[in-house]
Amino acid sequence: MERKSNHRIKPSGVIVFVLTLALTLLFLLPVFFAFISAFKTNGEILKNPVALPEAWGFQNFRDLFEKSDFLTATIHSVILTVVSEILIILVVPMSAYALARRENKFTGLVYTFFLAGMMIPFQLYMFPLFKELKMFHLFGTLGGTIFVYVAGAVPFGTLLYHSFLKGIPLEIEEAAHIDGCTPFQTFWKVTFPLLGPCTASMLVLNGLSIWNDFLLPYLSMPINRAKTITVEVYSFVGQFTARWDIVFAGTVISIVPALIIFILLQKYFVKGITAGASKG
Amino acid sequence: MKLKKIRIDKVALAFIAPAFLLYTIFIVLPTVSSIYYSFTSWDGLSPNIKFIGLANYKEIFTSVRFRNALRNTLVLTVFISVFENAIALALALLVDSVKWGEKIFRSTFYIPVLLSGIVSGFIWKIIYNYNFGILNTLLENIGREGWKQDWIGNPKLALIMVGIVLVWKGAGYYMVIYLASLQSVSTDIIEASVVDGAGPFQRFKSITLPLISSAFTINFTLSLINGLKVFDQISVMTDGGPGFSTETIVYLLYKSGFNEGRQGYGTAIGIVLLFLIIILNMVQQKFLKRKETQL
Repeated sequence: MERKSNHRIKPSGVIVFVLTLALTLLFLLPVFFAFISAFKTNGEILKNPVALPEAWGFQNFRDLFEKSDFLTATIHSVILTVVSEILIILVVPMSAYALARRENKFTGLVYTFFLAGMMIPFQLYMFPLFKELKMFHLFGTLGGTIFVYVAGAVPFGTLLYHSFLKGIPLEIEEAAHIDGCTPFQTFWKVTFPLLGPCTASMLVLNGLSIWNDFLLPYLSMPINRAKTITVEVYSFVGQFTARWDIVFAGTVISIVPALIIFILLQKYFVKGITAGASKG
Repeated sequence: MKLKKIRIDKVALAFIAPAFLLYTIFIVLPTVSSIYYSFTSWDGLSPNIKFIGLANYKEIFTSVRFRNALRNTLVLTVFISVFENAIALALALLVDSVKWGEKIFRSTFYIPVLLSGIVSGFIWKIIYNYNFGILNTLLENIGREGWKQDWIGNPKLALIMVGIVLVWKGAGYYMVIYLASLQSVSTDIIEASVVDGAGPFQRFKSITLPLISSAFTINFTLSLINGLKVFDQISVMTDGGPGFSTETIVYLLYKSGFNEGRQGYGTAIGIVLLFLIIILNMVQQKFLKRKETQL
């Protein structure tokens, strides 16, 4: 940051600042519009879309939960995100650890096999996947959807952990081994805590994509019930064409958790993205 | 010694097994079996699956609807990639050189990335609305009533209007990658160039540009691949319409499989999509390698 330590304020600096600020406002306008609309009555939205609400109330949110099964959808979104994340962290780092620490022909092959998954689009295998889920009696269940999320996290997770593990010295693990730790204990008690930043990146990026996912839960979750927040917002668009205020309330409920996590943990978003991009 | 080696491999195997099994069962198996289904007339429901050879592929390469979807996909993908990268790079340069509030600016440009495809599509669907949307209201207020449009109801505009939503939502992601590569330029190099008398333009050309060129290759490929896979915004904003004007390959795949009960055909479209993605990846690798040898 040293190169920014100019003392005098130059006109060019002011221009850059004003330009950046203007673009920021332009970028935020649609999100701002969604937030104010969630607190307006339908009539107000139609009359003047950019005006602030006449009174800030939570009526739209109340209607949302009363007129639809949004509560079930919210619970589903939380279960899918949390349980998938726990399983991802139990499964992916351990496998990446073995791949990074025992480099030979076999692990090299598995590594390539895992990374190849990054190229496969979900839409390619979704039809056979649903047939398979039906065969295992997992179709229409939360469990089936969770398994697909965990499996889907393997390619990017392997890439991220594998590259991060390269920077962690072996000496600590060797010491643990000499002290009589089994490989399993060594990993969970010694190495895994050192992977903290990587795990944080993994959690925020995967969490966001699961929370926001549409097609998989839309097609694989229990039929005739509310599915997830994202799927509910989608079905509202057709269902409540005359009640945009309610749809905007649902939109805000979808955005707010992601926004809070981002504000608290944004450096891990940045780290995860840049690590993924430079190694990919 | 030999005994020990085998034991070690067993440990590695046990560590890898859970990820390997889940990945193989839920990703690889359906992917591999989709190759088989692409040669059948499978409808997704009936247990009799009839093998029809290359008929699905023949249909893909002769059907007018597929050609339309391919054209839409290419237009949308190129539009997104060009504008996402141009805007992301511009934002990264601005954020990198702004003197106050760099972190806050970086965060706000990233906020649209946090939205789901469905939510971002819905918000913009309302913005584009003919009667009540912000866009037309704005045009009215500045006295340009004549420019008012049914933005996504017009088959000539709809695809690009969807593209704008994707650029808005995606630019912040690529900005983060550009910014990281810009900030990897050390202050020493910049100071040395100032001492040597390099002007701002020359500095940009000979220091900044080469350093962000590999970020550019990565971002451009990423945005092309993401462009090929766009689905959520189309489903919430236009459902492929009006007519077939926003029907992309992925959307055609989905509709063939679920609305028209032709999952064998849909899967064949998926295989074609996979080939497009593999080719793009190979081109990227080649570009990155060439850059490395140049350095």
